[in-house]
Amino acid sequence: MPKVSQEVVIVGAGETRVGKLPGMESVQIQAWAVQEAAADCGVRVPDIDGLINLDPYAIPNSMFSSTLAEYLGLKPNFLTTVDVGGTVTAMTMLQQAVWAIESGHCEIAACVYGENTLTGRPPGAQGLALRNLLGGEEWEEPFGLHGMVTPYALLAQRYLSQYGASEKDLAEVALITRRHALLNDNAQMRKPMSMEDYLASRMIATPLRLFDCSQVSDGGGALILMSRERAQARGLKAVSIRSMAMRSTHNSVAQTPDLEDLGMAAAGRDAFAAAGLGPDDLQVALLHDAFTISVLITLEALGFAGPGEAGNYLRAGHASLGGRCPLNPHGGLLSQAHIGGMLHVTEAVHQLRGTAGRRQIPGARRAVVSGNGGVFSVCGVMVMEA
Amino acid sequence: MNTPSELIAELPQPTVDSQPFWEGCQREQLMLQHCADCGHVFYYARRLCPACGGTQLSWQASSGKGQVYSYSQVQVAFQGPHWQSQLPYTVVLIDLEEGPRMLSRWHGPKGQVPQVGQRAQVTFPEVQGQRLPYFQAEEGAAP
Repeated sequence: MPKVSQEVVIVGAGETRVGKLPGMESVQIQAWAVQEAAADCGVRVPDIDGLINLDPYAIPNSMFSSTLAEYLGLKPNFLTTVDVGGTVTAMTMLQQAVWAIESGHCEIAACVYGENTLTGRPPGAQGLALRNLLGGEEWEEPFGLHGMVTPYALLAQRYLSQYGASEKDLAEVALITRRHALLNDNAQMRKPMSMEDYLASRMIATPLRLFDCSQVSDGGGALILMSRERAQARGLKAVSIRSMAMRSTHNSVAQTPDLEDLGMAAAGRDAFAAAGLGPDDLQVALLHDAFTISVLITLEALGFAGPGEAGNYLRAGHASLGGRCPLNPHGGLLSQAHIGGMLHVTEAVHQLRGTAGRRQIPGARRAVVSGNGGVFSVCGVMVMEA
Repeated sequence: MNTPSELIAELPQPTVDSQPFWEGCQREQLMLQHCADCGHVFYYARRLCPACGGTQLSWQASSGKGQVYSYSQVQVAFQGPHWQSQLPYTVVLIDLEEGPRMLSRWHGPKGQVPQVGQRAQVTFPEVQGQRLPYFQAEEGAAP
């Protein structure tokens, strides 16, 4: 059973403004996110001695952790760049930070995402198709597959056909996350969305419409970790990682297993078993929602709903604020911003500390965070607790 | 109907692993690797069996027949403006009779989409001077 030390905790969460940040490069956005997270917990930036970041996707760099460390003026004892995909990258960053602090390699670690994906894209780049992230050029490009929408569209069509589900099931995810985003001042999408608006949005790759797809965003998010002892000495409210587990089954869409064999169910089983908890013990779900279909698949893989039943679960209000286990109260990747999923983790911290403002879930103590990188290629599930 | 001269693609760059596959396409054969150690048949081409790690691999022609696992009709030119002429086109995941799943493009009248579960067979249209393994409805099979 994968164990995570409870003696290292998250004490700070920060995010930049999201949307368009013209004139800002990725290093400046990541630095801003670190400053926000440090300020959130009263840590001086120069006291950070561990740094873990994500290399930008739109304009990739090399050795980006030392680029950022130098910009911030840090002289870290531990630094690395992590990229396993989606919110699983954030989980892996946290795992590395916990290990590094637990083993004495550093005392205060920052984990950070951020880039200018929206304004910094190469000229002519279309939608989310920055480049073929799945690395399967030889087995994908000859068949016209380019970018991330079509891989998820293939999963979505299979889901609809296999379970007799409808586009209105997909729509529920978009509608709920949009309603939630209206309570977040730092969200890209601030206009209400109706079912009619959803159905009128243009088709991108059947069955996925524009409103099934997440935002393209400039912005960043960061977390600060330290030992529980140090957090207590400083009087900081801590959030711990009760458990995390991951499973990678493939990379390219051509190797996608059957829906029921995607790695999310296995990662969820491991994470819940390690925590000794299940869906009924959670008050908030931060599920990776780069596309609406991901949420339907994840709700079922984690046991919130039976096979093909996620649409009904959402319609019953269970995932809305005020419901059984609200989904992405911050608006998620679909309606807040797509910062790779890092803001799912910062939101979990806010909800569990009681600092989520107008969208606070009363008494939230435990959160589940899910991530799927690629096309459910790398799946991760994390249970967090205040 | 898309005539072959209208089709465009980013052509594959064969590697030491995949050269026999792409050469097979020029002969209108869909070649798959078979593992002598465990019997696994796999796609795409590799230097070891992804099921057992075996290295006694041979190439054998597939029947080229299978079933549509899923499809998506693409309505946006993600590749850039030069792809506008292809819209809409359909990408498919095919479960081959021999076991492997492969990604491909549906070859049929413009706007036609297959059904999930439909029988399909490989076809090798010439795309920019090279034959690529696309799929169409299996002749004589119920849709």
